[in-house]
Amino acid sequence: MVREIKDENFPQTIEESSMPVIVDFWATWCGPCKMLAPVMEEIATELDGKAQFFKLNVDENPVASTQYRISSIPTIMVFKNGNVLETLVGFRPKEAIKSLIEKHI
Amino acid sequence: MRYDIAIIGTGPAGLSAAINSKIRNKNIILFGSKDFSSKLIKAPKVNNYLGFYDITGSELKAQFEKHINVMDIGITNERINNIYAMGDYFALMVNEKMYEANAIIVATGIEYTKPLKGEEEFLGKGVGYCATCDAPLYKGKVVTIIGYNRDAEEEANYVSELAEKLYYIPMYNGSYKLRGNIETVNDRPLEIQGDDRVNKLILKSSEINTDGIFVLKDSVAPSQLVPGLAMEGDHIKVDLDMKTNIKGCFAAGDCTGKPYQYMRAAGQGQVAALSAVAYLDSIE
Repeated sequence: MVREIKDENFPQTIEESSMPVIVDFWATWCGPCKMLAPVMEEIATELDGKAQFFKLNVDENPVASTQYRISSIPTIMVFKNGNVLETLVGFRPKEAIKSLIEKHI
Repeated sequence: MRYDIAIIGTGPAGLSAAINSKIRNKNIILFGSKDFSSKLIKAPKVNNYLGFYDITGSELKAQFEKHINVMDIGITNERINNIYAMGDYFALMVNEKMYEANAIIVATGIEYTKPLKGEEEFLGKGVGYCATCDAPLYKGKVVTIIGYNRDAEEEANYVSELAEKLYYIPMYNGSYKLRGNIETVNDRPLEIQGDDRVNKLILKSSEINTDGIFVLKDSVAPSQLVPGLAMEGDHIKVDLDMKTNIKGCFAAGDCTGKPYQYMRAAGQGQVAALSAVAYLDSIE
């Protein structure tokens, strides 16, 4: 399942998890983001228990989107121990995203 | 409704893919233009298309047209903006409209606007292709739009409502319908520069300090059309079965490499269609 993440709980979520944390930066007005959402849900189901999946609405959460300098959406970031390990900008096919995440599991 | 195969392009590769898919009784949709291919209708003489010695491009086009008409293959005259590989199907976006297909064949030819120096390097780091998508991220910042067609003016007007300052660089001639707060720069862009983000656009006789640059083109590289599609230089990477790196996505014709010839394109279109048919049979 892909859960909502917000500015308030962003830092502790990416730091405290022992699993990779995947964050999908999105917004309601972004077409490719809408296409990516079901793809991320499928990946989250398939990798359940191996990684944590979140989505962050950039309109409502300016702190995190500014800190990570999001300049295009969708952007997918893979965090581990609070560090950014991967950044994917733009829509990607399911297999491409999944294999990128699996590298860090 | 979901099509079996969507074919993008109506040059020899796309048309050959269409007739072979149809022969195999697949439900297809063919995107392209009524002229089929601007290169084809411009060719003064063709002597290397087997069976048609001393034929002009437009005569060959007429033969192709007769062929697809007899086979009851229609052309959907719409421009695909993006194709998303959703996993077990493809979503083909035409502005607000969406088509779905289980397999796709990319046969878009080789004529697309070449990227600027720095464009690919800074993609997602200040360079974008969808101004309406990313404009809100540039609230209060300086944005530059390089527009290759009239549609870009509309996007520029929208972005100018959010950005602190908007520069518009038209890559075509004409009068521009732009809001008064937009600064038009009539100069040729050469290079996008920056550190870890875009900060500057170098033009032939000037420079613009900018936080973001949107490049709004007529036709984009296949890797922009199908996000995640692997390229090899300017061409789509394919194997001998015309398979790309994306499951269910095939490619044929000039977009896959040289030589740029009609018969090669038609042959590859046929192979791509048969591979797509085999793929569809395997997922049933």
